[in-house]
Amino acid sequence: MSSVHNRVLSAAELQRFGDELDAVKARHQALLGASDARYIRRIVAAVRWTGVAGRALLFLGAFVHSLLVPAWIAGVLLLGLSKILENMELAHNVIHGQYDWMGDPQLQGKTYEWDIAGTSENWRKTHNFRHHTYTNVRGLDDDIGYGLLRIFPEQRWHPFFLAQPFVAVVFALLFEWGIAIQDLRIGRVLVGKMTLKQLWNQARPVGRKALLQVLKDYVLFPALAGPFFLPVLLGNVAANILRNVWTYVVIFCGHFTADAETFPKECVRNEGRGHWYLRQLRGSSNLTGGKWMDVMTGNLSHQIEHHFYPDIPANRYAAMAVEVKAICARYGQHYNTGSLPRQFGQVMWRILRHAFPSKPAPARPLVAATQAEPG
Amino acid sequence: MLGRIVRNMSAVYRNAAPPPIPWLSEGFFDFWSTRVHPLWTLRRPLARLLARHQASADAVTLELQPNRHFRGMQAGQHINLGVELDGRLTTRSYSPAALENGRLAVTVKRIAGGKLSQYLCEHAAVGEVFALGQAFGEMLLPAVLPPKLVMLAAGSGITPLRALLRQLDVQGMPGPVDLVYWARQREQLCFVDEFKAIAGRHPAFRLHLAVTGEGAARVGSYALGSLGDLAPAHVLACGPGGFVDAARSRLQARVAHFDSEAFSAPQLAEVEQGSVQIQLLRTGRTLSVPRGVALLPALEAAGIQPASGCRMGICNTCVCGKTSGITRHTLTGEYISEPSVPLKLCVSSASTDLTLEL
Repeated sequence: MSSVHNRVLSAAELQRFGDELDAVKARHQALLGASDARYIRRIVAAVRWTGVAGRALLFLGAFVHSLLVPAWIAGVLLLGLSKILENMELAHNVIHGQYDWMGDPQLQGKTYEWDIAGTSENWRKTHNFRHHTYTNVRGLDDDIGYGLLRIFPEQRWHPFFLAQPFVAVVFALLFEWGIAIQDLRIGRVLVGKMTLKQLWNQARPVGRKALLQVLKDYVLFPALAGPFFLPVLLGNVAANILRNVWTYVVIFCGHFTADAETFPKECVRNEGRGHWYLRQLRGSSNLTGGKWMDVMTGNLSHQIEHHFYPDIPANRYAAMAVEVKAICARYGQHYNTGSLPRQFGQVMWRILRHAFPSKPAPARPLVAATQAEPG
Repeated sequence: MLGRIVRNMSAVYRNAAPPPIPWLSEGFFDFWSTRVHPLWTLRRPLARLLARHQASADAVTLELQPNRHFRGMQAGQHINLGVELDGRLTTRSYSPAALENGRLAVTVKRIAGGKLSQYLCEHAAVGEVFALGQAFGEMLLPAVLPPKLVMLAAGSGITPLRALLRQLDVQGMPGPVDLVYWARQREQLCFVDEFKAIAGRHPAFRLHLAVTGEGAARVGSYALGSLGDLAPAHVLACGPGGFVDAARSRLQARVAHFDSEAFSAPQLAEVEQGSVQIQLLRTGRTLSVPRGVALLPALEAAGIQPASGCRMGICNTCVCGKTSGITRHTLTGEYISEPSVPLKLCVSSASTDLTLEL
């Protein structure tokens, strides 16, 4: 399907490729300091102020009926913006431990709890560990289609996937709930690998967190508006859906574009550093769009850099991307980037195309013949 | 100048931190509450700088107002004070004197190359807010006062002993106390006027200043005869590691009781071989691990199972707080000597003895 051609690297080239990318990390890590701290604190402030402003506007619309429509729309946009910034640029990056070096107890990856239905604890496991270590490795990275969609021809087809153009839309609207239950792997109950009781026990922490979210957004704040609860309730629903759809679009663009590849499990056996970088590169794709796009996507517009350096503060990715791109060009490796409409168009095509039976193209080697050797 | 000290601080700080509230995010609460008042937090102890005075040629005394989450301290104990320098919370231990209005007086000696001491001595402005840790340390006055108390201090080791002296001063100096205080130069001596005033009030207290730059002997050869019969004495020694070691080897066998506390940076070994001691704070275990081996496999080999994931330094699952010691990054070879920082067990090896929050 893909038209790109990646030069097959020799073992020595692969080693140098990894060393050069490690050097980029070391250079930027040495620069971390007050400007990065200021950046993340400004994001924290933006999250707090937009959140309060959004909720205040929803109340204004509820109580001053002449302002209902404009205040409601502005309130939804601001509250949605607050949640998007919190989830993507603040929580996702902080939970990666990107700002651990600051020593701020409220910006520690190990303890940060985010404003979304799922728990940070599950996310640390499914995302930080499984997805980032085994990116796009079939059978290890649960993010490939989230066990719900067939994105790649290498996934086995089943008549269920005929419904996936519809399933994908529902999944987008309820994305935070999909993320919340991802680690429960409910499919195991259906195939008899787990009892309902085990599922119930595992689901309790998630259930508690989700309940708090529901109470906050759909009970507490609407109740504060008394008889005018309805616009506030609908505003919270709309803001959460706005966040869900946007995060879904951005995240799907990260690994499911036309040129993104998946890998067999054998790929990660005795995987060296250079090989690991190469796999991350071929499985990830960036978004063009500049500074606003970077902030609004939590710098997942630099998905490649994020996968190379998940523990470097995301505000550094734009500068690192210049060097990473040059290194990839020198080693003849495709650097997958494009505008949001282009990349998401490719994702939508994959969802439509692989709803129907499809055959994988012949696998292309990551490295020259020495691949199977350890080291 | 700074007011009287208090014996029982529980009268001043009675507010323990509230238990965790599942529906209230601490980050959210603190963001808004600190906009109303910089010391109002849900749980974090903080302190605000209220005033600063020059204590000696190279030392400054900072008067700090802790918030309600600070649980108080006993004379002779230490606190950790943290300031964000170039984006990083930089934490060092100090030995404050507790004032009767609940404030803390911290005397900071300017150390060449010392990041935090230079900042506190030269730049910290009145009104600034610092991170504060709960008090710790065992350098306390014995519960039953011994027939004779001997205090040996060198350099900044004077600060916990000064706190004890102020407490004894308030108690009317209930027994004979001798303080020998060493410094290289006379202008490096701190609190001399204060000590002389105490000596003036209480004949039971004798002050001995030993300025080595003017020919005074170090602790190893100091004429201890001037202190009288040492056999029944309770000795408290506080200073750099070498000073405390010399005092201990000379006195421990000759006195009734010897307590000491050393301030010194951990020393890196010449080679990354041999083994180091790791103290685990949560489990209370101490174990020996080889230098130069990543901590995660080393701990696992010792039967400890820390949470872990990728084992290559990317997923942040095994990150763990370090409170003392030097580690080395196994991929870059870089040494990390900052005392209180989080580290990833899978890509850090121990270079000196460590204390970990495990």
